[in-house]
Amino acid sequence: MSGQEYIKSLIKEAELYQSQGLLAQSKDTYLKVLAFVKKSPNFRNHKKLEGAIADRIRGLEEGLVGVNRPALVPDLDPEVQNLIKNLFSFSEDQNTAAMEGAMALARFGQYERALEEFRKLLKRGILPLAAAKNILRCHLALSSPNDAIDQYERWVSGNQLSKQQLEKIRDFLQGLLERKGIKASLPAVDEPGPPEALNRGKEGDVLDISSVGIRLSEGPRKGKMVEFDVTFQSGDVISVVVSADEKELLEALKENVVLPDMQFYSPIAIFKGRGVVSGKTKIRSGPKQGDYMLDIKIESG
Amino acid sequence: MAIFNAKNRIIECKIVYYGPGRGGKTTNLEYIHKAFTKQRAGEMVSIDTQGDRTLFFDFLPMGLGKIRGCDVKVQLYTVPGQVKYASTRKMVLKGVDAVVFVADSLEIRRKANMLSLRDLQQNLAEQKKSIFKIPLVLQYNKRDLAEQDMPIVPLNVMERDLNSKLKVPSFPASALRGTGVGATLKACLKLTLHHLQKELKWAG
Ligand SMILES: Nc1nc2c(ncn2[C@@H]2O[C@H](COP(=O)(O)OP(=O)(O)OP(=O)(O)O)[C@@H](O)[C@H]2O)c(=O)[nH]1
Ligand SMILES: [Mg+2]
Repeated sequence: MSGQEYIKSLIKEAELYQSQGLLAQSKDTYLKVLAFVKKSPNFRNHKKLEGAIADRIRGLEEGLVGVNRPALVPDLDPEVQNLIKNLFSFSEDQNTAAMEGAMALARFGQYERALEEFRKLLKRGILPLAAAKNILRCHLALSSPNDAIDQYERWVSGNQLSKQQLEKIRDFLQGLLERKGIKASLPAVDEPGPPEALNRGKEGDVLDISSVGIRLSEGPRKGKMVEFDVTFQSGDVISVVVSADEKELLEALKENVVLPDMQFYSPIAIFKGRGVVSGKTKIRSGPKQGDYMLDIKIESG
Repeated sequence: MAIFNAKNRIIECKIVYYGPGRGGKTTNLEYIHKAFTKQRAGEMVSIDTQGDRTLFFDFLPMGLGKIRGCDVKVQLYTVPGQVKYASTRKMVLKGVDAVVFVADSLEIRRKANMLSLRDLQQNLAEQKKSIFKIPLVLQYNKRDLAEQDMPIVPLNVMERDLNSKLKVPSFPASALRGTGVGATLKACLKLTLHHLQKELKWAG
C-alpha cells in the first residue's frame, strides 16, 4: 500500500468509528494518521492535511467531553414512569412491590415522581421507615436539603411515625446532611409518638434481602447451606417458602430454632448473620397450598 | 424470575440484550420492532441520551401466542453498554431469564467484548445465576463492515475469544440490515422456553 492509500484507509476507518459513536477510537485513528504524516514531510500537501486532521481531532475531543459528562437525566413522561414502576417491581407481595417500584423511579432519577410514591406508601403505613428515609433521600437528590429538614420537623410534630422510628430517621438525615457538608440542628424526638404497635410491621435498619442461605445444624444435610428466595420482607423479618416435600428441612427448621450461620443476599451486598425461626405457618390456599411459610427474624447483620 | 400464572396459563419472561457500548443492542431491538409486527405486543420504549446511546434501557414487549396451551409473553430489554452505567446495567438485568450477548466485530472492540462478557458473568453471579446455566446466545454483529474493508475480527477468533468455554449458539449478524437478528432471537427463545419448561415443569 502506498503512503497515500494507507492514509486514505485510516481516514475511512476513523470516519466510520465516528459515525458509530466510537469517538475515542476515531480520535486514536486520526492520531495515527497525524503521526504518519509528520514522519513523511515530503508528502504532498502535508501541511494542509495536518491542519485538517487536527481540526477533526478537536471536533472529536469536544464530542468526548459531552459523552464523558454525567448524563442529564430527563424527566420522563408519566407513562414511561408508570412503565418503570411496573417493570421493576418484582415481589409478589403488593406492598413490597410498591416499594420496589418507587425505588426504581428514584434509581432512574425520577425523584419528583418517586417522592409522590413514597408519600403514598407512608400515608398507607407501608414500610414506613423505608418510605420516610427514601423521601429524605429524594429531597436531597433534588438539592433541597431544607425540604428534607422541614419534612422531618413535620414528622416530629405529627403522629405518623413512632418515636423509635423518628430517632432512626433523625440519625439517618443527620448522616445525609453531613455527607453534603451541611450542618443542621435537628429537633430531638421527645414528643411521644404513637405506640410502636400501631405501626404495621416493625422495620429495622435492614437492607432488602432477595434470598438467604441457611447452614443446617442437624438432620441428614447437617453442615450444608440451603438457599431460599425471600418471598416477603418486613423490616428484619423475612419469609421464605419451604415445600411440604422437604420433610427433614421442616423438621430442622422448627419454631424458635436459632440459625447461627446465615447468608443474606441483597441487591447491593451479601452479608453473614444469624437468625431465629420466628414463625411457621402452613399455606392454606393458592399455588403453594400445603407448603410452609417460614418467618425468620434476622438477629444480626 | 419468569412469571408463571398457572390459573390463566400465562408465562412472562425477560430477555436482556447485553454487550459493549455501541455494539448494536438497540439496533437489534429496533429491527425486531420493525420486522416482527405480528408478535409485537406494544410499542418500543427507548430512553436514550446524546442522540442514541442508551441511558437506562430499551424495552419491547412481544407476544408469541399459545405454546403448549400457554400464552407466552416475552419482554425484550437492552442495557446501556457504556462502562459508566454499571449500576443501571445491574438493575435492568434483575430477574433476567435469558441473555443475548451482542458482540461488536470491529477489531478495536475486541477487548471491550471480553470485558463486557465478564461484567455479565459478575452481574449474573450477584443474582446467584451462572453464565454457564442461563439460556444465552452470542451474536457477532456488524459483519457487514467487512464489505467496506474495515478491520473486523474473523468469526473463528471471536468464537475463541468469547465462546470457547461457554459453547452456546452463536450467530454472525448485521443488525443494521437485519441479517441474523431473527435467527439470534429465535435461538434464544428456543433455549428460554426449553429452560422454562424444565424449570416450571410446564407441559401442555
Ligand atoms: N455497520 C453496522 N453498524 C451497526 C450495526 N449495528 C449497529 N450499528 C451502528 O452502531 C452504532 C451503535 O448502535 P446501537 O444499537 O446504538 O448500539 P448499543 O449497543 O445500543 O449502544 P449503547 O446503547 O451505547 O450500549 C450505531 O451507529 C449503529 O447504526 C451493524 O450491524 N452494522
Ligand atoms: Mg443502546
